[in-house]
Amino acid sequence: MSVYDFTATTKGGAEKSLADYRGKVLLIVNTASKCGFTPQFDELQKLYTTYKDRGFEVLGFPCNQFAGQEPGSNDEVQQFCKFNYGVTFTVFGKGDVRGETAQPLFKYLTAQKKFEGFDMNHPVGPKLLEALQQNFPEYLEGDGIKWNFTKFLIDRNGEVVARFEPTTTPAAIAPAIEKLL
Amino acid sequence: MVKVYSFEGCPWCTKVKNYLKARGVEYETRDIELSDEARAECEKISGDLTVPVTTIDGKNFVLGFDKRKIDELLASA
Repeated sequence: MSVYDFTATTKGGAEKSLADYRGKVLLIVNTASKCGFTPQFDELQKLYTTYKDRGFEVLGFPCNQFAGQEPGSNDEVQQFCKFNYGVTFTVFGKGDVRGETAQPLFKYLTAQKKFEGFDMNHPVGPKLLEALQQNFPEYLEGDGIKWNFTKFLIDRNGEVVARFEPTTTPAAIAPAIEKLL
Repeated sequence: MVKVYSFEGCPWCTKVKNYLKARGVEYETRDIELSDEARAECEKISGDLTVPVTTIDGKNFVLGFDKRKIDELLASA
């Protein structure tokens, strides 16, 4: 079994087989609108434009499951959202990524690569952990997606080779991508 | 008429709208994701695609969910 056995729903509602990406290096990410916390769209876009000619794709899966639940105290969170216009990598339709209602692809990804904790050296690492412990302790159980911008790196054979938590910036993943290209 | 530039899935936009509703203020939603026209207007008003943007005259605006500034904006109308 590999990611090629799964489908994703396009923005228009059509089913697209991930087998269409056979032979490419993929970064699969659950995304969210730019609302203060973990705004990683720009860096993902940069990765995409840097490596797309070498067979690299970013696949974004927007999810509202974490919407409106910004960690950190109110004065730390900017109270507005930036519209992610200008992103040219693939963004699929909105869907769930955690729990019973999660898309099968995400159940597979999280079963393949376990949660190994947040990077506490990242500025939001301790805040994210604290916010989850206080507000959503159940999110910390098991290997499900913990928050927006969890990233899975897929090699050219469709194997899941790595999982990066929201506390790993897209830029920091570049060396791992290069190794697979 | 108060206009709120916003898009779906933006929690701060929802907070602004709920606040206006609670104050009994009528407003028009301008969705910058669904409407090219609304997106162009928003960019013209604030110079960016950051929302919520609340405005009455299309010149003075409040960026974000800032109750105090929204109150001031409404009082100035």
